[in-house]
Amino acid sequence: MPSPSPVLPTTRREFLRLSGRGIGLLAFSRFAPSFLVNSTRAAAPAPEKDRTILVLVQLAGGNDGLNTLVPFEDGNYYRLRPSLAIAKSQVLRLTDMAGLHPACGALRGLLNDGRLAIIQNVGYPNPNRSHFRSTEIWETASPSNEFLPTGWVGRFFDNTCCGVPADAHDPVGLHVTEGMPQSFLGAGEHPTFGLSPYARSHRENEENRRLLESFAHGSANRAPSANETFLEHTLMDALVTEQKVQTVLAGYHPAPESNYPQSLFSNSLRDIAALIAARLPTRVYFTSLSGFDTHGNQASQHTRLLGELSDGLAAFQRDLAAHHLDDQVLTMTFSEFGRRPSENVSHGTDHGTAAPLFVMGSRVRAGVHGTAPSLNLAPNQDLTFSTDFRRVYATMLDRWLACDSRAVLQDSFAPLDFV
Amino acid sequence: MPADPSEIWTRLPDAQWDAAAARHLLRRAAWAATPQEVERATAEGLDRTLDRLFPAEAPRPPEPSSVSALEEDTPAFMQKLRQAKGTEKKELQREARERAQGALHDLTIEWLRFAAQPEQSASAKWVFFLSDVYVVAADKVRNPALLWQHFDTLSRHAFGPAPVLTKAVSRSPAMIRYLDLDQNKRGAPNENFARELFELFLLGEGNYSEHDIKESARAFTGYRTRFGEFFLAARQHDAGTKTVFASTGRLAGDDVIDLAYRQPAAGTFLPHELVKFYLSDTPLAPEQLAPLGSWWSENSFALRALAHRFFGSRMFFAPEFRGALIKSPVQYYLGLLQELDLDVPPLPRRIIFPLRLMGQMPFNPPNVRGWVGGRSWINSATLAARRTLVESLFAPLREETLNADERRALSAARAAGNRGFTIGEDGFTDLSQLDSTAAARHLATKFLPHETAPEIEASLRQFLERDDEVSPAQRARRLRRGAVALLQSPEYQLC
Repeated sequence: MPSPSPVLPTTRREFLRLSGRGIGLLAFSRFAPSFLVNSTRAAAPAPEKDRTILVLVQLAGGNDGLNTLVPFEDGNYYRLRPSLAIAKSQVLRLTDMAGLHPACGALRGLLNDGRLAIIQNVGYPNPNRSHFRSTEIWETASPSNEFLPTGWVGRFFDNTCCGVPADAHDPVGLHVTEGMPQSFLGAGEHPTFGLSPYARSHRENEENRRLLESFAHGSANRAPSANETFLEHTLMDALVTEQKVQTVLAGYHPAPESNYPQSLFSNSLRDIAALIAARLPTRVYFTSLSGFDTHGNQASQHTRLLGELSDGLAAFQRDLAAHHLDDQVLTMTFSEFGRRPSENVSHGTDHGTAAPLFVMGSRVRAGVHGTAPSLNLAPNQDLTFSTDFRRVYATMLDRWLACDSRAVLQDSFAPLDFV
Repeated sequence: MPADPSEIWTRLPDAQWDAAAARHLLRRAAWAATPQEVERATAEGLDRTLDRLFPAEAPRPPEPSSVSALEEDTPAFMQKLRQAKGTEKKELQREARERAQGALHDLTIEWLRFAAQPEQSASAKWVFFLSDVYVVAADKVRNPALLWQHFDTLSRHAFGPAPVLTKAVSRSPAMIRYLDLDQNKRGAPNENFARELFELFLLGEGNYSEHDIKESARAFTGYRTRFGEFFLAARQHDAGTKTVFASTGRLAGDDVIDLAYRQPAAGTFLPHELVKFYLSDTPLAPEQLAPLGSWWSENSFALRALAHRFFGSRMFFAPEFRGALIKSPVQYYLGLLQELDLDVPPLPRRIIFPLRLMGQMPFNPPNVRGWVGGRSWINSATLAARRTLVESLFAPLREETLNADERRALSAARAAGNRGFTIGEDGFTDLSQLDSTAAARHLATKFLPHETAPEIEASLRQFLERDDEVSPAQRARRLRRGAVALLQSPEYQLC
């Protein structure tokens, strides 16, 4: 057994200085976790507990709103969807007019328990039907005829001093997606962190980090160039955050009653719960569930995805509640667009416009909000939105994240009353 | 490097041309040093390699069909737009913007595909370098057809005389729009182009006067375009007498460019940019650059000759430069693809997003200075994006998560013979025969910029030789994970 290194770093600066000298994480790996975990706690003084957190769940591909929140009393719905409509008898009723897809049992449970708000028919004027562009519109919160270089969450970071964590390296935003979501891009630089969505075991993550760590030692037989040293330092710094995050994830025990289902999506929520429970000062988390682009044979695919969403979200909420964190967290879904009310010939639906979105948390005003779309439409005609998505963002900013929404959205949007 | 400044730009002695030198040349002049390219270059010798990398004519990338369609439809569209009113007009403008956005993605992907072909990588990179001098950006130009045309202009003149290139650029519709030449008219000159021409294209700050700019702006009045064609609007053009760099006459735009090339600073300006882009983020001392500048002006500012001189010089191969430059995101991406023998996938999300996150969108530099480069490429977010890119190349494409149009594009690309978009579970099995020492040596030599990297090789060997996994599949897995870390390492960010 190797003897403990005599030079234990006590601060990040010290740690990095040692790392730069070639004494890396490996040199004191037995001590690193506690040092790092302790510093996580130290960075989160008591007032952090009151900080509100937003979890964004992207439903990528364009979720079919009409088969998510079903207008089961509307004859037009059954006229437009001869093969895809959810039979009235199958719908999980919420109101006299609307109910959920049968795969959303867990979501109905949440709504009945007062933990889920559904905002109907959310969209924006002059809708765009390109995945790429419409996602960009949602993420930047731009009018559809304008291109903004920054995302709405990034502008939230720009506009809030309390968004800056005590330890300047701790992330204000954390995403479990392939790259940083455009939402997070701010005018200024903000520490964000990405968890690889390429599901690998903790062992493989650890393996990768240790290898990188050993590579970052530089070569003894030649003086490293200034650029090399600079790169090593930047990487070591990233590895510190990564180790901190992964230590938290590896040591996390979800509440027994949370009962997360087995899926990548639900794993990402479990990881987010772990980080929230570790009191990371992160304000916004972002994860994504993709596959909603159901142009053909929609029924089975959509059922699977909604089930995954519903069960995952419910497990996440149970977990937060068991850890007494549910007061602090709101979770919101969004999708780049809804789908066409008329089904197509391949038993699927094409790109459309508005759709409902979910807001989950113990502080929401549960129930179905807003107005349902009118389905008195010609074949292939699109829905007209009734609630602008920027009103939803404005509500989140003003009433949840305590940040003036006008500064972030560059316009004034009337808040809604779901929170 | 030789101490005598008159010697530093002379040709590298043949005795110093070896595989290591070839690797350095290939990584800097192109995107990567794959074993087959290194072998070929080493065997051919420096002169023939330079001839091949920098030919008399640069191959020109094809125009993507969505871009040419946009170009063809423009006159009819403008007609329609003129007649439209109110919401109809807005709707048309919106449509046009979306089409332009789609075409820009196509243009980006097509250019990357083109540049990823090893036989045209060096000239594609050279044109990319020129586009980092003669900057135009999608954000302002908006029209991808004009961007393509601008790149095509740079490609046509890439290896000819530089003054001809500069004159062609002054007539490039994208440039005319980007630097407001179309606002420049007799009696009310707009100085934007004239200023950048001297400051950022030809001479550099301090080598011209405000008076030179004012007078030159007059010479470029009336430069106009119509549907991608240049014309001189005679009534907007100021044909009067001007004085630029102490020469007086009824100077036209081309005359101003010729006068600027007669300034002493013209010889060293582009070489200075060349050093910054290809060699080192620390500028060379003026006395080091001067001999190259005077040599180049004596050689009629021939671009191909400059490339041969620069990339064949003792200076370029000096040990202190090797493996010390931070790769740009485009170089990192294309280098990875070439070294892993992968194709550019037809999936904008897998290309545009990573490039944007790493901080470099081709066709859209941040401002008229182009990209800053060097250390500005690296921060915690961009480094994370680089690491994620590597992971994504070693993970299977999760096709069930793709959108319908992405699946279509993927099938089309596969039908056309492109199939290697990621390293599969069977990747690196050929290496699993090697023992750990040999495998570590192989990976380090293949990917790292330095000939010897004993510490890294040792760490890698230790990692590979753990004896708890012995089946060939497990060995291959370990090799892949070793390669992933190597490609994410600080060393691999350098070339």
